Parts: sequence; C-alpha cells; structure tokens
Amino acid sequence: MLEVRGIEKSFPATKALDGVSLRFGKGEVHGLVGENGAGKSTLMKILAGIYLPDAGTILVDDKPRVFRSVSEAGACGIAMIHQELNLVGALSVAENIFLGREPRRPLWSGRLVDRRLMERNAASLLVNVGAGIDPTRLVESLSVAEQQLVEIAKALASNARFLIMDEPTAVLSERETRSLFSLIRRLAANGVAIVYISHLLPEVLAICKRISILRDGRLVETVSPQDVSERKLAELMVGRELTHVFPEKRPAPDAAPALEVQGIAAAPNVLDVSFSVRPGEIIGLAGLVGSGRTEAAEAIIGLRRRVRGTVRVFNTLVDFRSPRDALAARVAYVSEDRKGRGVHLDMNCIENTTLAHLSAYGAVFPSRSRERRAARGWIERLAIRCPDLLAPIRTLSGGNQQKLAVAKWLDGKPSIIILDEPTRGIDLGAKREMYRLIVDLAEAGLACVVISSELPELIGLCHRIVVLRQGRVAGELAGADELTEQRIMYLSAGVDRSPRFPPPTPTPPTSPPPSSNESQQRKSA
Amino acid sequence: MMVAAETLAVSHAHRVATFLERHGVLVAFAALFLWNAVVADTAEIFRNPENLRNIINQNATTGIVAIGMTLVIVAGGIDLSVGSIMALAGAVALLTVNYLLTAGEDGVVAWSEAFAVMAGVGTGLATGLACGLMNGFLVTVGRLPAFIATLGGLSAYRSITLALADGGEIRSASASVLSAMGRGSVTLVPASVLGPEARPITVTWNILLFIAIAIIGHILLTRSRFGRHVIAVGGNETAARYSAIAVNRVRLATFVIVGLCSAIAGLMATARMNSVSSSQLGSFMELDAIAAVVIGGTSMAGGRGRVWGTVLGVMILAIINNMLVFAEVSPYWHGSVKGVIIILAVLIQRGRRA
Repeated sequence: MLEVRGIEKSFPATKALDGVSLRFGKGEVHGLVGENGAGKSTLMKILAGIYLPDAGTILVDDKPRVFRSVSEAGACGIAMIHQELNLVGALSVAENIFLGREPRRPLWSGRLVDRRLMERNAASLLVNVGAGIDPTRLVESLSVAEQQLVEIAKALASNARFLIMDEPTAVLSERETRSLFSLIRRLAANGVAIVYISHLLPEVLAICKRISILRDGRLVETVSPQDVSERKLAELMVGRELTHVFPEKRPAPDAAPALEVQGIAAAPNVLDVSFSVRPGEIIGLAGLVGSGRTEAAEAIIGLRRRVRGTVRVFNTLVDFRSPRDALAARVAYVSEDRKGRGVHLDMNCIENTTLAHLSAYGAVFPSRSRERRAARGWIERLAIRCPDLLAPIRTLSGGNQQKLAVAKWLDGKPSIIILDEPTRGIDLGAKREMYRLIVDLAEAGLACVVISSELPELIGLCHRIVVLRQGRVAGELAGADELTEQRIMYLSAGVDRSPRFPPPTPTPPTSPPPSSNESQQRKSA
Repeated sequence: MMVAAETLAVSHAHRVATFLERHGVLVAFAALFLWNAVVADTAEIFRNPENLRNIINQNATTGIVAIGMTLVIVAGGIDLSVGSIMALAGAVALLTVNYLLTAGEDGVVAWSEAFAVMAGVGTGLATGLACGLMNGFLVTVGRLPAFIATLGGLSAYRSITLALADGGEIRSASASVLSAMGRGSVTLVPASVLGPEARPITVTWNILLFIAIAIIGHILLTRSRFGRHVIAVGGNETAARYSAIAVNRVRLATFVIVGLCSAIAGLMATARMNSVSSSQLGSFMELDAIAAVVIGGTSMAGGRGRVWGTVLGVMILAIINNMLVFAEVSPYWHGSVKGVIIILAVLIQRGRRA
C-alpha cells in the first residue's frame, strides 16, 4: 500500500501542495482529478522521486520512505508513465524495456548484454500487456499507442506495484483507449495499484474505483464513481456550480462559403478531403487519431505540400506555401501543439500576441506602446490571466497560453480560423471560456473550423461536423438529430453501413484533379 | 511567522540568483575594471587613457565580429567561418587596391589612391556579403546544420585566401591612405579646451566603428521587427514558422550580417597592418567571438541574448589579457585562463534552468 501524509511543496511563486494525505490501495484504480495547477502533477512527481516534498511523509507498506531520485522510487515499486513518453526512439522495443537493467551474459564479468534472453523476456512482457509488438522493432517506428504499451511493459519489467499514469489517453483513439482500459483492469486484478490522472471525466468515472479531487494544492474529497455525476465531479474540481458549458448555438447565416476545400491530398495520410465553411459558421473536423485531420489543416495552410485538390478562399483559388501566405489571405491556423508550435514560452505576453502580425506595428521598429495596447486589449477581451506583461509566458497555465496562441492569430484579423484541439490539456473553466470565444468569433462573422477529439465539444459547438476516416471524408453530419456521439463514432470507425442508420451524407463530388501546371503557376515567391 | 521568514529567505536567494543570471557579466566587468584601475599595483598604468584606448582599439575587430555572432547565435545558428571571412575580405580588398594602383602600359596610374582604397573597401565588403550569403543558403536552403556549413566555410575561405596570396603575405600598394584609415583617429576634445600642456582626447576610427556597430546591433536586436523575429526563430523555430515568420529569410539575414561584420573587421585589421597575412589574419577569431558572446550571457541554444553583454564579454577578455601581460605571465598560459573564464561564466549564468 502506498500512502502520503501531509505532503507540502512550494515553488518560488506558488504553494503547489498544502498538506495532502492520500492512500492508494493494492489493486485499486485511483483517479486523481483537478484543474491545471491544482497540484496533481506535483504530487505525482513527488511520488515518482522527481521532487522532494518540503514536508510530509511517504509510506510504502506502512514504512516511511524518502525518494531522492526516480530510481529510489522505482526500487519501492513505483513507476510513472508520463504524458510525454520517455522512450529512446533509436533503440529497439526490448532495449527500451530493459534500459539500464539489461540481462547480462556471464562472459567478461557480465559486460555483455544477453540480447536473446532480453528479447524473449520482452516478448512475454508485451504479450502480458496485450501488445503483439516485435521486440526487435525500433521504438520510433511504433504508433503512440504502441509506445505507451511499451512504457507499461517497461514499468512491469521493473516489478512496479504502483503505476502512475498521467493523461494516458490524451494521445489515443477511442478504440485504443478501450483496450488500454481493459489492460488497466487486468493489472489491477493482479494487484497493481494504479493512479490515474486525467482531465476527461467520463473516462475517470468509467475506470476508477475511487476518485480524489485536488483543488489549489489541497485534497477536496475522495469519492466513489457511483456517488457522483460528471457534473458534480466538475463542480468539485472548480469549486463552484457550473452552468451551461456550451453557449447557445445560433443559426449560421446564409452566405457564400469563405473557405472551400475540394479533394485535397497530402503526404502522409490525407487522401481526399473536401469541406466548406461559411462566414459565421462553426464546423467540426472529427476523426480518430491518424485520420488526417491535422494534416489536412496543415495542407490548407501551406505547412504541407498539397499534391492534389483545390482550396478557395472567398471564391479565389489559393495555394499557400507558408502560414505567412495564409495570414496574408486572412486564414489562420492555431496548432494543436501549444508548447511546441503555438506559443513561444520564453517570450512575454506582448511579444506572443503580436508575433504573427508584427509588421502592423511598424515596418522596421514596432511601436512598443501600440504593441502593449494591443496585448492589453486581447488580455481583457479573452480574460487572459497574465499578471506580468513582461514575464515569459512559461509560467502561465495551459489555458492562458492557449488563449494567447489564439490571440496571436486574432491580432492578424483573420476571416477564417482553423482551431486544432483548442481545449487540449486546459482546465474546465478555461475550456468554457474558449467555447464562448469561438462562438463569439463566429458571431462576429469569422468562419471557424474546429478540430477536436472530444466529441461532446464538437457536438456542443458546431453547426456541422465533417468526419474523416483514413484520410477521406467519411460523412458530414448536421442538425440536432444527426449530431450525436454515436453517429460520429460510427462514421469515424467505419461501421456506417449499419442498417440502424441511414447512409452517410454523400461527400461533395470531387472535381477532377487539377493539372499539375495549374498549381505550379501559383507558386509564391 | 516561521513560514513567512522562510519564504522571505527563499525569495531573497532567488532574487540574488536571478540577478546574477541576468547581470553577472556586468558585475564581473565592474569588479575586474575596479580592481585593475584602483587596487592593482599596475593601476596607474592601467587607468592611463592611452592604455584604455589601446585595449579597446586592439579588440575592436573581435568586438565587431562578436556582435554579428550574437545575432547568429540568438537565431539558433553559429558561424565558425568568421576568421576566414576576415582574411578573404582583406585579401580581396588589397588585391583590388593593388590592381587599380598598378601603372598601365603608358606608365600612368589611372586611379587616385583614395579611389582605389574605396574600391578595395567595396570589394572587401562584397566578399563578406557573398560569404555570408553562401553560409546562409547552405543552412536554410541546403538544410545543413550551421556548425557543419560554416565549418566548411572556415576551411574553404581560408584556403582561397592562402591560394590568392600563394600562402604568404599580400602587401598593400597604397602608401598612405589605407594605413591612415587603420591608424587614424578623431579628436573629440581639442587640447585647447583642456588647458595648457594637456593632450587632446582622441578616439580611433576603429573604436568609433565598434561603438557604432554595437549601438546598431543593440537596437536591431531589441527594438526592430527583425530582432524580434531573430529571437522567435532561435527560441522555437517550429513555433516561429507556424507564427507566419519567414524563418529562412531571418536566418539567412543573420549570416549575411555576421559576414559583413567579419568583412569590416578584416578590413580594419588589413588597414592597421597595411598588409594581409593569409594564414594569420583572423585565425581563431571564431573562438574569441563565441567566447565573448557566451560570457555576455547569450544562450548557445538560441532565443535569448544581448549585444551589450557581448560587448562586455569582449572587454572582460581584453582586460584579463591586459592583466596577464602586466603580470608577465607567459603567453602560453593565456589560453588556459581564458578557458576557465568562459566555463565559469557559463556556470554562473546557467542559473536555475539547468
């Protein structure tokens, strides 16, 4: 049994944990929820030996322990599966699983690795976690879901009895999530204690036996899933009652399409994607991981070379070669990868807001006062909590960083905006504000495309949803009776011929592929 | 109360660490300068304006190259070819001057010396521009790592210089104009103002050029749109590309700038000597320039840097060199001292983010 008592941890600016006591029992799946900044990650990092607590004790099987390093925690059977996986891409699956614990050959006082034994053991561990992966394959050739299974196998190889999983389904498709859940249940049945951290409350309610809610570094309550609803759980996290998460839908005005995408294809997985969006309309792009949603958006915006198809902006053929070209035509794309592509963590609020559109503030020397005014304006309009305009935004919460990423593009005054996973990894309050913002933008006449893996989000926001499957449009849904999670799932998983449902809306007829010299004529400088 | 006191202590230590991280180079420079000018036995010699002016004058070339290097490094690159560019630019300039001053068949020199030198300066700068463009294209269009591309330049530009000079020295045919530029100075305050027996306060062209380029570099990096783009590209190239920044154009421009800075430095050195030693001019300049940039607090990973820090970095290295000379330490040992200084500087400034 793993227990923490009165754990406290402070960072220069904040008190991350303020006297948290919890127990994680054998064979129990214990959910840990809370808004960003509630202290979940800090607590887990303390358990995993990454941070030392300022006060409080950790007890493993009723014996107090101090973890000064990850290996000390590992020696007590604690393993953590991080949100960003920690595998070495250029090594094989077996080498990763036994990294640092390679079985040795007796020769040369054990300086040689017994590769064959290692691979055999790896194979049996992989079968244990239900992954039929060849242990000699390189990790970089695996899908994210497979890599996660390798991580779990690695943890089991070290005889982990306590498995901490941080947002394990964030990168998984629905089907992969389901198989992960059955693995978690099996591990729990074998006596492994699992600490499950997630923002996705339905998942937490489905998989966990007990759920602990953290808020502002304190434990609010530990509950059983059958005693709480999703809404109640959310309220416990936020500490106030939540009213409508999604703003009311307004009908989209009738107008000519702002963006028309026709039969585009791009490497590696966009084969034939067509959709259109009108000013004031919000459309969703749904699909499983790997269905080509992000890649299609990147092909439109000029980040990927389009090999076929046409893109029209307000009925003008365009061929963007970079986001720069796209912004010049008032098309903006907010990336799903906030920290890697969305914002500059080391730049401040002002610099982040004006970065994409700096020329508007002066051809050579941007006016600092005008930049500051613009940033203040967005901070106010989007309710961004940015205490110090001149501090790097690294310290802001995910939600506020996301708002800044959106503000950066809004500052370029786009008429079409593509938002890729706009609420990934941000807390509920911030999500609700983001939804409000998107609806407001549409109301102001922007054509909005929202890419998301969270189906309730798409259903709550969008007028129409285009479902992609394996790089093609699997169907388009519109109207309250069609916009259901079930319909979207059926389309995206490819079981749309089920007799219970009418056939999917036919995809718009694709025009013959344009001749290659047509696209070459429009090559930008 | 206990908690409050502890928090206070933590934030105090935090503030000191932050201060050192940000302004360590300033503290180091001030300490070094004061010690040399006040405490040391040789203080009187050190603080003699003549000596100070010499120190700056001798290091103006390194300073100018290091300022260009700061921009490249902030943009996430590096340029190892600066020393070779200096030599090549100097050689091309001298060959131009000599060609134009060679008497024709009729025994008449068509060009006046001043015009020939101007033309030489022009071709020298053009050489720096061309080398910078070459490096920049290899890095952006050719997608080579900057280290590799400019390592090639380091070798190739030097070899071209050696070939042009046949491995030796190119002497200038300009009798007076070029060397006058190299050694010339401007009177800031005439002697008559300072009273009888006073000497006028003068400043060499080299120092003026160094100061001017430092000011331009500082404004470029901190105030201009280009500077912001340089920081954005160096901080996170992918995010910069996604933020509608012409990443390649920005990186190319930084290489062109450092190429031009190197050419200017090369011309200054050439003018001072009135000749070019094809193997010696600018050799190991890349190391001195990078050292100054690093000491000045610019991050080698890109995205963070400052020109004023680099200027102080150059001066710190210069003062230490001066100290070692005063102390009659064998020049063979100078390199080790420099090495220790560089590593100490990085250790202090690395701060808490490591």
